[in-house]
Amino acid sequence: MNRITRAAITVPVVGLTALLASAGPAAAAEGSAQADLTPVPVNPVNASGRGEVEISGTTLSFSLAAQGLLAGAPHAAHIHFGESARNECPTASDNNAAPLPGESDPHEHFTTTEGAPAYGEIVVSLTTTGDTSPSSGLAVDRFPVGDHFEYSRGDVQVSEEVAQAILSGKAVVVIHGVDYDGDGTYSAGDRGVSDLDPSLPGEATDPALCGVLNASQVSTQPVGAVAAGDGSSSADGGSALPYVLGGLGLTAAGGAAFAARRSSRATA
Amino acid sequence: MFAAAGMAAVVLLPQDISGPVRLDVPVAVDAAPVTLTPDTSTRVPGPTSPAAHSPRLPASDPVRVRIPALGVTSRIMHLGLERDGSMEVPPGAYPVGWYDRSPTPGQLGPAVLAGHVDWEGEPGAFYGLRELRVADIVVIDRADGTVATFRVDRVEEHPKDDFPTKDVYGDIDHAGLRLITCGGAFDEDTGDYLDNVIVFASLTATG
Repeated sequence: MNRITRAAITVPVVGLTALLASAGPAAAAEGSAQADLTPVPVNPVNASGRGEVEISGTTLSFSLAAQGLLAGAPHAAHIHFGESARNECPTASDNNAAPLPGESDPHEHFTTTEGAPAYGEIVVSLTTTGDTSPSSGLAVDRFPVGDHFEYSRGDVQVSEEVAQAILSGKAVVVIHGVDYDGDGTYSAGDRGVSDLDPSLPGEATDPALCGVLNASQVSTQPVGAVAAGDGSSSADGGSALPYVLGGLGLTAAGGAAFAARRSSRATA
Repeated sequence: MFAAAGMAAVVLLPQDISGPVRLDVPVAVDAAPVTLTPDTSTRVPGPTSPAAHSPRLPASDPVRVRIPALGVTSRIMHLGLERDGSMEVPPGAYPVGWYDRSPTPGQLGPAVLAGHVDWEGEPGAFYGLRELRVADIVVIDRADGTVATFRVDRVEEHPKDDFPTKDVYGDIDHAGLRLITCGGAFDEDTGDYLDNVIVFASLTATG
């Protein structure tokens, strides 16, 4: 009874509640995932961070926090994924590319390119405002700044493929910016120019923190407790009533009628 | 111990090839469990977890639950979310419902079943839940024909306004089961029970 009534009332207003994509019969991607961010191997980083994402269909919301990165500098941050990538954070053994221009020893610097076999390409740019597509990957004026930041957004659109990858634990969060020479700013220095954009110092684009987005085992945690009894074996019945009223906003008249039916069935 | 040595060997081999500079990079060790865990969709929280080799099954919907100690057998329906974000509950005393955004029983993680303690004057499927004892078993028949047998670890009762969300729904390192029903006093004003009774169980056998 409860369920049937609920369904009948819910149908006309489904469109008003984009929050719950579960209304559709198709299995829309829905769930959450978290990544604990730790320093990328090789690079001199003493920092940590955490990324959390929620997926509802193709809408992604995220929060990202980090502490210990270079102060006063922008930190590009992305979600990476690659169909043929290992879907994990790079290890020291990924640091085997040829020497970069200006790099005295290839093993001193771990570049974003060297990490690609592990985490794949940029699929979401975790900018603070505006576009979040891969093309904003190096939009350094729209990434968080400083050695301690936390921010969130709720309006990111992703492809179904990316949504599924994230909920399958295959996507990776990477935050960039490494001050190799400790001069307190992004400079060419020994590292040279970026392998991604020669107009930027390599220090600005090399990966600092990395973490795999692990999907929660329970994809969406229910809110609150579970209303699994109507009290009919302990007292007068009707437990589902306020629950239903609260959830659906029935009119007073409808609620009263419903209450009457419930009461009439209650037994001690 | 043996496993640890094997993991170290796996990691050190490529390091030796690519140069001695990497030998002192501790992060490389973290890669070992990843290479040794082929099913990345069922990562375990900790590489050294003692439960890493506990039994588990691939995903398959639950179709029937049996609780021999209570003499209960019930079909299982799917449960989703209400519009206020709370969990749906079954429409009557029976059947029991499986919250379909939790793992299927036997998979890694907390599979969640909810059933009524009572409904319209009749005892619900989970009427006797609070009587379960440690080591009682709960048997789940699954759509793929497999049977997952769980052992009760503990039975808890919590006020609904202090529901232990993390304990019930949070990630775990084994295939777990949560049976939830109502309990405690019935509040005439709110029309609801004050508590939830929650049974925590772990997969012990598959067949």
